[in-house]
Amino acid sequence: MIEFDVRTTDDGIGVVAPRGRLNMVAARQLRETLTGLVEGGTRRIVVDLAGTTFLDSSALGALVAGLKTARQAGGDLRIARPTESVMTVFRLTNMDKVLRARDDVESAFDV
Amino acid sequence: MFSEDRPTSTRDAGPDGRPVERRRRADRADRAGTPPDGVERRRQRAVDSLGLSVPARQQRDDRFDRITRLAARIFDASWAGITVLDGDQAWFPSAQGFDIPLMPREDTFCSRTTSNARLTVVPDATLDPDYAGLPAVVNDGIRFYAGVPMTDTLGNVIGVFCVYDHSPRTMPGRDLETLEDLAAWAQSELVGSSEMLRAGQVQKAMLPAAPLHRDGWDVDGICLPALAVGGDLFDFALTNGVIHIGLGDVMGKGTGAALVGAGVRAAVRSTHPEVVTGTDLGTTTHRVARTLRGDLERNESFVTLFQCAIDVASGSVRYADAGAGLCVLLRVDGTVERLTSEDRPLGILPDDTWTEHRTTIDPGDRLLVFSDGLLDLLHDQVEWWPEVGTLVGEHADPAGLLLAVRELTAAQVALDDVTAVAVYRSPEARE
Repeated sequence: MIEFDVRTTDDGIGVVAPRGRLNMVAARQLRETLTGLVEGGTRRIVVDLAGTTFLDSSALGALVAGLKTARQAGGDLRIARPTESVMTVFRLTNMDKVLRARDDVESAFDV
Repeated sequence: MFSEDRPTSTRDAGPDGRPVERRRRADRADRAGTPPDGVERRRQRAVDSLGLSVPARQQRDDRFDRITRLAARIFDASWAGITVLDGDQAWFPSAQGFDIPLMPREDTFCSRTTSNARLTVVPDATLDPDYAGLPAVVNDGIRFYAGVPMTDTLGNVIGVFCVYDHSPRTMPGRDLETLEDLAAWAQSELVGSSEMLRAGQVQKAMLPAAPLHRDGWDVDGICLPALAVGGDLFDFALTNGVIHIGLGDVMGKGTGAALVGAGVRAAVRSTHPEVVTGTDLGTTTHRVARTLRGDLERNESFVTLFQCAIDVASGSVRYADAGAGLCVLLRVDGTVERLTSEDRPLGILPDDTWTEHRTTIDPGDRLLVFSDGLLDLLHDQVEWWPEVGTLVGEHADPAGLLLAVRELTAAQVALDDVTAVAVYRSPEARE
């Protein structure tokens, strides 16, 4: 089972931290969570992947869908602190240029 | 085929309790032994693979509720349910008579049944030290329990179908048979319906019918969906002295991915005549992307797609890779090369383009292109290509290599579709 921590920073940035394995079942929840944030007016989102041990193609799809939704609303989605195995998925698919990994959650929206 | 494989050692459990006592001692011996880690690991992967992990929100399924309701009524049982063990927790896809969302695995009767992997009957739990302390017994006054393990097609226990009662009782052989029938019915609902098995046959029939053997070249492929159907596909054909190969992976798995995958296959096929006459693979990939764009957008899906065109006479290779990144070329001298690109999958950004790259397959060289379902099964998923190179080097022909991939998939219980296409060029060059 996967758990999502969702919080909003003082700057109004939504932080989603999935813990555990992001598979097909969890990807659906992730997509709903991201869409819910954007619909609720939080257009800047950081997905904190420090606690994500595994990420499959459905989860990658959920992140891309979240990215598109956020951008359409005039915001953006960024990822922070992916583990090496999760980073491999981004590199293989050449998605690391669209979803560039940030070193920490706090500064993910600085540049 | 499921129910026939299940051992039923306690069918003769007598009303006097003696045979039951003997069985329980045997069970204790089983549990006292070291639990085989491999069995539990495979079991857990099977649970994951079928999407039976603990859901975020409590959910009941009509398909299962109908069967457990029936069981409660037939046996006049206080409770009936289906239990699934996920990690150290137990949850109940269906429950009649009780309403517990989640329990520690060790606190359940069904944890014992799962370890036993066979029909387990407890006539009076208060008399059995293995069960007397369970919360259902102490807090809810449960005395009787009967549980039948439910397995996937490979025999991994994925759940338990069970009935409970507040009174001690026994279960005559005929009732045990009925319980097993109900369990087998629920099991087929859990694992997938016969309709989906047929869909799987259709999808299989859409793959190349036979390997390719021509002028010192051997090409063969394998596609093993994690569920009845999958989102992986491959295709190859030889026309005008050019072998055109495609391997695609639609996001996710199961029926939705398979429907999108059928479209991908058709779109790639429609470019085959141009590919074999030399049209740039970046251009044809772009055309495939344009064809699929609406479908992918509406389904919020994407596809990774590797394609190559091999000139049989010269061994020159043109390839384009849309975000797959999983192709290894094992040179005759043992060097492992990767065929890579900078391009993204189809369906990510509207302005994306794809580029054709070139290499050569010389006599004795071997190429393996595969989907990420196989990557999941490797030991090192970060620096994976040496392991793949070794695997390719160990097998003298594509058939042997693909058999090894099939065995690896079965042994590890793949979570995702596993697909691979192997190209071997004979060491003796033929003109």
